[in-house]
Amino acid sequence: MKWFDAMAERSARGIAKRTSRRSVLGGLGTLLLGAVAIPLLPAARGAEVKRGDDGKNPHWDDPTSCDYWRHCAIDGFLCGCCGGSQTTCPPGTNMSAVTWIGTCHNPGDGRDYVVSYNDCCGKSACGRCFCNRNEGDTPMFEAGHSNDYNWCSGNSTANIPYHCSTARILGAVR
Amino acid sequence: MRAPTIAILRCDIRAERRSRGVRALAALAALAGLLGAATLANAAPVKSAPAELPPDPGRHPTVAVLPTPASKHWVWVNDFVFPHMADGTAHLVDGDTGRYLGTLSTGYSYSHLVLSADGRWIYSPETYFSRGTRGTRTDVVTIYDARTLDPAGEIRIPPKRASDMPVMGDVALTDDGRYLLIYNFNPAQSITVVDMKTRRFVREIPIPGCAFAYPSGPRSFFSVCGDGSAVLIDLARNGQVVRHHTARLLPMGADPVTEKPVRVGDVWYFVTFDGRIVPFEVKGERAVVEPSWSLTSAAERAQGWRPGGLQQLAVSVRLHRLYAIMHQGGLATHKDPGKTVWVYDLATRRKVQEIPLKRLASSIQVTTDAAPLLFTVFIDGPDLDVYDAVSGHWLRTVPDVATTPTVLVTP
Repeated sequence: MKWFDAMAERSARGIAKRTSRRSVLGGLGTLLLGAVAIPLLPAARGAEVKRGDDGKNPHWDDPTSCDYWRHCAIDGFLCGCCGGSQTTCPPGTNMSAVTWIGTCHNPGDGRDYVVSYNDCCGKSACGRCFCNRNEGDTPMFEAGHSNDYNWCSGNSTANIPYHCSTARILGAVR
Repeated sequence: MRAPTIAILRCDIRAERRSRGVRALAALAALAGLLGAATLANAAPVKSAPAELPPDPGRHPTVAVLPTPASKHWVWVNDFVFPHMADGTAHLVDGDTGRYLGTLSTGYSYSHLVLSADGRWIYSPETYFSRGTRGTRTDVVTIYDARTLDPAGEIRIPPKRASDMPVMGDVALTDDGRYLLIYNFNPAQSITVVDMKTRRFVREIPIPGCAFAYPSGPRSFFSVCGDGSAVLIDLARNGQVVRHHTARLLPMGADPVTEKPVRVGDVWYFVTFDGRIVPFEVKGERAVVEPSWSLTSAAERAQGWRPGGLQQLAVSVRLHRLYAIMHQGGLATHKDPGKTVWVYDLATRRKVQEIPLKRLASSIQVTTDAAPLLFTVFIDGPDLDVYDAVSGHWLRTVPDVATTPTVLVTP
């Protein structure tokens, strides 16, 4: 299915890069393309960023926090809590070839970035630092926009077992 | 060495407290003994010791079997065991007594089982790896004996079964009970067809751009596509597949229909994120969208009321009533659980009841009999709650049933 994967990834990245964060859901800040590795526990678990008294997100720069700026469209266990990081899979897992993508705002430089949530596959669920921020999610009829699918599916070396999710920058939105 | 000293001191204090407690208990026991003796003195003569219990019947270990047919008030709580997805399970509970009746072990990323029309068998699409979570992937339909819950057979199917958030459309039987339909996503989309009479894999039907299997007749079903169209598929008797692709009938986009509809006869009731009911009638090669209506009034919408959860709708065909998990929230809360179920008369399309729940619910189901029960579970909680589906009264809570309960299946 490499042709499909490649097509899906190209398409998703293209759309994500053409779409500004503010154009989606009135500035809520998410564009879900592709889908998520993990079944969604109810959104109450962490869909909204926790704000301080000053209205700011105090954890925007903490990769192990659900409120980390790159996690605006993530759904799963944070690889940074599982032996990897926001950019690398934990030892012994495989990074999924197909990803879902979000467009997140970085308060550090004021820019919007396209973030690729590559899943790490091949071991049982990490179970640490579950994070679910699913703004922009669609029903599974629109597969490319739904975060209810397991994108470890189709990974030839680690088909289906989901471990955790990364949040890798693909590029700035221009 | 300071820490051990402190620890010993703490132990001593605890021992002293225990000692005082024991003395107090002993005093109470003595008082109770005196009172008991006084009471006995005025009562009938002391009876002899009760007879010794007889040995349990049978000389060998025994295993329970379930009565048949299954009670209409039983429920299968399907559990994909999110923290340990290789250990999917299905739990059977009697809603009338709250008794836990039995378990199926159902493999990796489990969705849900389907009951055969005659009630004798349980069909369960399952995924296994040769080394637990790695190695060769094998997908099967396991056939369980509904009386013993023993595996009675299995059918190999293509290793493509969708790993997704479980929904009823993942697996379904055609109305004649013959063909099991299983949704595949790898990420190419297709339907696996299994003949449950001959117990053989029949074919795989590609449904590119579309998802799930919704039965629509003796040997037909439809899948819904991302653009709002549907593909209607008939498994003709000669083994050929007849398909018809409809126009874009179902709403997608800003207020899309969810993949969680319920069925009454030829009509599937879809619901949108904002709580619009979209009746979708399918007969043969003809599909029609009937006028939509809303679960909420304008005032309720202004207060943020909307449906949410996983198995967020249920229906009683006999009562012609629709049940919906409701909560207050904004955009992107379409999967949030709710703490109330609203009930609608499908003929008048009016709300007839609000059932307050004891705890949050993400899935509901209503039994198919004339005096139905309403079951509720929350995906992040272990308990099953049981209500009278007519009066709305809470009947009982069955504790510690599941790890992450998903969809509920009733006979």
